[in-house]
Amino acid sequence: MTEALLRTENLTKEVGALVAVDDVSISIGAGTLHSVIGPNGAGKTTLLNLLSGTLKPTEGRVYYKGDDITRVPVYDMIHRGIGRSFQITNIFPFLTVFENVRLAAQATGSDNFKFWRTAASFPDYTTRARSVLEDVGLADESLIPANALPHGDQRKLELAMILAPNPDVLLLDEPTAGMASEQVPELVDLISRIQAGTDKTVVLVEHNMNVVMNASDRITVMNHGSVLAEGSPSDIAANEVVQEAYLGSLYEEGPE
Amino acid sequence: MTEASPKRPNFLTRHGMLIFVVTLAILFPFIVGLIEGQSPATVIASEGGNSKFLMGLAVEVFILALFALSYDVLLGITGLLSFGHQMFFAVGAYGSGIMLKSLGWSLPLTLLGILVLAILQALLFGVVLPRVHGITFALVTLGIASMFWIVIQSPDVGDWTGGDVGLQGASSLVPAWINTNDHRFRFYLMALAVLVLFYLVFRRIVSSPTGAVMVANRENQDRALMLGYNTLWFKMFALVITSIAAAIAGMLWTMHQPIVTPTVAGLGWVVAALLMVLMGGIGTLTGAIIGAAMFRLLSFYLERWFGGGASLMLGVTYVLLVLFLPYGIVGTWRLKQARVSEGRKRLVALVTGKGG
Repeated sequence: MTEALLRTENLTKEVGALVAVDDVSISIGAGTLHSVIGPNGAGKTTLLNLLSGTLKPTEGRVYYKGDDITRVPVYDMIHRGIGRSFQITNIFPFLTVFENVRLAAQATGSDNFKFWRTAASFPDYTTRARSVLEDVGLADESLIPANALPHGDQRKLELAMILAPNPDVLLLDEPTAGMASEQVPELVDLISRIQAGTDKTVVLVEHNMNVVMNASDRITVMNHGSVLAEGSPSDIAANEVVQEAYLGSLYEEGPE
Repeated sequence: MTEASPKRPNFLTRHGMLIFVVTLAILFPFIVGLIEGQSPATVIASEGGNSKFLMGLAVEVFILALFALSYDVLLGITGLLSFGHQMFFAVGAYGSGIMLKSLGWSLPLTLLGILVLAILQALLFGVVLPRVHGITFALVTLGIASMFWIVIQSPDVGDWTGGDVGLQGASSLVPAWINTNDHRFRFYLMALAVLVLFYLVFRRIVSSPTGAVMVANRENQDRALMLGYNTLWFKMFALVITSIAAAIAGMLWTMHQPIVTPTVAGLGWVVAALLMVLMGGIGTLTGAIIGAAMFRLLSFYLERWFGGGASLMLGVTYVLLVLFLPYGIVGTWRLKQARVSEGRKRLVALVTGKGG
């Protein structure tokens, strides 16, 4: 296994009486596409919130490149090279698609307080935003307000916003959530192409097991807040415990 | 690619409207003079008559417009709802009055003192910024401003502030060459210049990288944080620049009015700013200026024509405006323009058979 870029140690998050994430220790290798799957309510999104700094754990630590980043404020994450997307589309609804991505690109630069120049006069960010929009296939929609995009395109915008600052680690929270099923393979393909082409580390949280089987280097399966199994896609496919958990959850859908 | 990088329009196209309005404002006293049969020389000398009086009213509009403009940057651009903005104005008004009258400072020194005070009071508001959000911030700022309102009326500081009567006579201590009574036309031009300067500065800031983050903070603060912006510093920045603008407006108020009353420190003053911004169109900057002009002129003329019934008519006017122009005058106009251009695009697409 490659050297761990992102690592958790006995990560636990209690929400009231519920233990949403229970003693999770995982290692994510540099340059891999690591998927976290599990039925509804397995604690996948909470885990991602802990990794991205949105939530602080009750116990345990998160290490990135050997540094303890457990208590790093959320706005610092991207400056360390960790970007995340959201399961529920989280954009600037009344700004244009272009401005959404331009803002994302501007964040990691050092021009945020140059209030005497127009934002349009910083070609670094505008060209970056254009090229990312080109990559995700939204170039033609760049001037319409973000909330006027159809849902599937908003998911692509969400992806563009995390790609724009060019982070080393992408934490993607169900990037295909709510997408029409015929659009899903296209987006997963896009993600795995970006990951392979740039050597980025991707943590992909997914509800649907089939979506990630082909794309992933490694898969962690969660259930009831803890790790059920971890291994290569073929290991996971052959794992009986996993099959049981998944089949079980198909019949009795857990709480979201 | 939709952005075919259009050629930058020339100077006159970009600033034509502004130049037109400013020219009109400069000519306005002369036009009034012409109607009243005053020669341009008498208008410039500001010896009296209707042109001097109307210039005085216009100066009030400019000052209120500057105050409303600063409130629009805070609320309409940055998304910070403050009910303590009147203190930013009142500190400028009372501060400059005390500096001129009690401390005997010169005008430039007073200006410097006001700038320092403006930054300090913004930092005071900034202290609570990381702790409270939304409506709580509005109430905490109202609390701070109310304390100020009570303190300036206290008899203990009456020698400086004039207690509940108000601070009198500071405007007469302004040097004669720029005094509002001796040289009204100069004072008028100066107030106009200050307003235009702040308008241009704010417009630039809004279109800058900093302004982009301020807008992002208004739109979706959590996302702005996640993108990597520590929004606290951008809100702090907004507080400082709007405090400076409001305090300068307050200082102009003191230089222009024979008496500064505690009204300018009361809740009514920030509500007035809110009304001006809402009437003109929130987040539009130009709307704040138009709203201020409407606010002052409406209240003045309704009172002159209808006396006691004026405030009721004002109230009805505001309700009607908000009811029928929910985005304010400028906001609704821009929306209409956008719809017209959208419709035109669709029509062109229909006729030429190309996708819009």
